[in-house]
Amino acid sequence: MRTEPSGVPETVSYEGVGLTYSTASGPVQALTDITLAVPRGHFVSMVGPSGCGKSSLLMLTAGLRSCTHGQIRIDGMPVTGPQPNSGIVFQNDTLLDWRSALANVLLQVELRGLAKEQYRQKALDLLRSVGLGGFEDRHPYELSGGMRQRIAICRALIHDPHLLLMDEPFGALDALTRDQMMIDLQALWLEQRKTVLFITHSIPEAVFLSDRVVVMTSRPGQIDDIVPIDLPRPRELHMTTEPIFNAHVQQIREIFERQGVLRSDSHAGDRQSLADAHLHGTDDRGGGR
Amino acid sequence: MTDQMPLDAGYRRRARRRRTEAIGYPVGALLLALALWQLIVAIFNIPGYLLPTPGAVWSTLTTQWQYLASESVPTIEEVLLGFASATVFGIGIAIAIVTWRLFEKAVYPLLVASQEVPQIAFAPLLLVWFGFGLTSKVIVAFLIAFFPIVVNTAAGLRSVSTELLDLAHSTRASGFTILRKIRFPFALPHIFTGLKIGVTFAVIGAVVGEFVGSGNGLGYVLMTANGRLDTATLFAAIAVLVIMGLVLFAAVSLLERLMIPWHVTQRTVETSRSAAA
Repeated sequence: MRTEPSGVPETVSYEGVGLTYSTASGPVQALTDITLAVPRGHFVSMVGPSGCGKSSLLMLTAGLRSCTHGQIRIDGMPVTGPQPNSGIVFQNDTLLDWRSALANVLLQVELRGLAKEQYRQKALDLLRSVGLGGFEDRHPYELSGGMRQRIAICRALIHDPHLLLMDEPFGALDALTRDQMMIDLQALWLEQRKTVLFITHSIPEAVFLSDRVVVMTSRPGQIDDIVPIDLPRPRELHMTTEPIFNAHVQQIREIFERQGVLRSDSHAGDRQSLADAHLHGTDDRGGGR
Repeated sequence: MTDQMPLDAGYRRRARRRRTEAIGYPVGALLLALALWQLIVAIFNIPGYLLPTPGAVWSTLTTQWQYLASESVPTIEEVLLGFASATVFGIGIAIAIVTWRLFEKAVYPLLVASQEVPQIAFAPLLLVWFGFGLTSKVIVAFLIAFFPIVVNTAAGLRSVSTELLDLAHSTRASGFTILRKIRFPFALPHIFTGLKIGVTFAVIGAVVGEFVGSGNGLGYVLMTANGRLDTATLFAAIAVLVIMGLVLFAAVSLLERLMIPWHVTQRTVETSRSAAA
């Protein structure tokens, strides 16, 4: 909607962002001193132990919570409320059971008070582009977890936002489906070149998808390191077993080992496996329904 | 509604058999109980004014059906008016509770506490205030049907996940739009739970209202038949009340089936609905 002022290359910038909230047992510092710039069209992942505040950071970016320190800017404008130019995907697909796949995608349009008819064709095209052509009249309960999450992604993209916020979108899916979703998300991203903030527990997933991986510390969440991933695109699954890919995974893992989040002695030997490579001990969230 | 998924013939056949069983078994048990009743009255030679035989009740039902039908009209009216107003106010107040925090804090605890008050105890007072007419019975029916509706609706409106609400807020949609497109449809299964309890309670309320003071209605029939030791008429009136309750419950269930075919309780072909009050 807004044209970006020239000379401001980044879509999202964080300037000393912190979040402290009060609980019964006193104030809890969830995030502190986050300073980061995400250039337009970049795919940036955030990995970190559970409770490191990465989901909070995403909510702050969406303007759904307010930070207690610092400032977030999107296209140069401070974030003070919900960002209309963004789309969100959660770990749970949060589809409405009474709506068909198509109607679920169009929910975004309806909630925004836009003309539904004008987006119908686009919604059908989006569904087709994620492999759900012919499924537009199905209800969520008739579809698999992966299909449901694809619908949620279409719903986040139907209004053509600049910024896509994804909070562990594949966290509730099985390993094979995750791999497929990774490939498909990359294809979608290469086609649309949205700015993506992607939260995950899986280091290989972050490496596979991202231009940069932001590694965070446990609470209070801070940026420990930012790892650039300079692998050629489109990336393919077989690359995940190649030394250059594993070097990146290893680099990030070593950061967690240094933090004491990971101990290499009890977790050696399965470095190659995508399915097993999620951060040990952090997959505490339950699966889908 | 549910046949979007291909069902094989064997599955359909099994489903039909389950449905037949769901009706057949309870009806069979009921007939058996009636037969036993008839037998016990005959064997122990129980006088008719203490316990009439099912046959005697049936003959009263058939000979007196005009009287019973005309006395059903005011009762049905009271039930429907009480239930309808309980539905409107119950859903309205539940929406206010989840919308305005102040209202929730101030009113919701009172509503919960008011449930410790037996509403039926107000029936004599309502008689004083509103007289022997329709109004006092409608209010008793309303009072006891209202609470299950308001509580279930509020629970339903609150059952929306934070993520979904976050998504809705990210679009800057108004509270009313979110209510209409997300919260209310989400709450429908809960609302229907409340309505099914409420409609049953409304029948109780109307009859109790008629007990306390009335010149017509099935509650009045019960009182006068009791005075004459006319137990056959008493049982006949009870039978009519049971049928009335079942029909109303079935009507609400049917509406539920039509309005929320997507809900998990409605999806299977099994008759999960037969768990009547």
